[in-house]
Amino acid sequence: MESPQNLKKRLKSVDNIGKITKAMELVAATKMRKAQQVALDSRPYAFAGLDLLANLSILENIKKEELPALFEVRKNIKKVLFVLVASDKGLAGAFNSSVFKKFEQHLKIDKEEWKKENHIYVAAGEKAFAYLSKRGFNVIKKFVQVGDHTTPEQVKPMADFILEGYLNKDWDRVIVISTHFKSALKQEPHVRRILPVDFEHIADTVSEIIPEKGKFAELIKEHNISFTPNKEKLRDYLIEPAPKIVLEMLVKHLIFMQVYHLVLEANASEHSARRMAMKTASDNASDLGEKLNLQYNKSRQSRITTEIAEISAGAEALQ
Amino acid sequence: MKLSVYSLKNVLFQGEAVSLNCKTVTGEITVLDNHETYITVLSTGIIKIIDKDNKEHAFPVKSGFLEVKDGNEVRCIVEQ
Repeated sequence: MESPQNLKKRLKSVDNIGKITKAMELVAATKMRKAQQVALDSRPYAFAGLDLLANLSILENIKKEELPALFEVRKNIKKVLFVLVASDKGLAGAFNSSVFKKFEQHLKIDKEEWKKENHIYVAAGEKAFAYLSKRGFNVIKKFVQVGDHTTPEQVKPMADFILEGYLNKDWDRVIVISTHFKSALKQEPHVRRILPVDFEHIADTVSEIIPEKGKFAELIKEHNISFTPNKEKLRDYLIEPAPKIVLEMLVKHLIFMQVYHLVLEANASEHSARRMAMKTASDNASDLGEKLNLQYNKSRQSRITTEIAEISAGAEALQ
Repeated sequence: MKLSVYSLKNVLFQGEAVSLNCKTVTGEITVLDNHETYITVLSTGIIKIIDKDNKEHAFPVKSGFLEVKDGNEVRCIVEQ
């Protein structure tokens, strides 16, 4: 049996680890709630923007004119930009690895196509950068510290970078791999195409702003949201300066909103994944602590018993 | 008119308003009750709203959109 001193030492370190993981769990829980709240605050904007886009895109006079370049699906797709959204820091359970796994699966599916296409990568988060450079991929830019209650200003450089490169024809398609926040207990990595723009894709993202379960899930019922514009009800709009210009600017705003939202969702997922990981860790620590405590008591008891036996044996020998 | 002003961070204004004054890419406009349906792009400037209690609200904006919908409803989405 191990000596009580050794056991005591181990017990103490297990206790300390438990304390740290407990603290991290609480911090992650608060951050998760905050990240969810931020995502929800941007919701009215997202709905209004999408509604406006829906109204605009069915207007007759727009159909005749050419749609902005952002809508156009390019025929020859040579270069594809992949954006991997992961975290800056580890200790978040399977959060990062599930994003990378999804990415690898996605590459396998399009294996034939991918030989023809040239892939370019953007990393959001230190962990994504580390992973991509380890795999030897061509990472053209990394964006870090987008975590912790992101403001629109922090995401702006990333959205602008993606948009500008697309308009300059540096890439013909943009795919984002990020985590979808289903609920506080469940997060899933998703692959989304954000460029060229597709109304359906934006609508999908917006409806995902509200988690399927939990505190905020009821909100969607209250508002009764739908994205199908009623054609008969729509009167002709007076549009200034020109429908095409308005549409183009609106689409740019919506792409920014979409990227912003993807980052927020990844944040909320990161924090809840970390919370779960830390909860498991502190549960394990307290289990281990109990076991060690029992072992320590046993070892102390057996020592005392041996000592008493020795003393009584010594006393008997004296008589 | 029913007016709502949304930004990415929060809801800036929601409720009954008498007038809305803002700068657009084609010039400054004031929207009053029962304006015709209208869509435009906002430029950098200040949005001034006079609500039904004659109180004035003002928000600086960088860019955004203004939509006057059928049924005396006005909606702005702005970036600050």
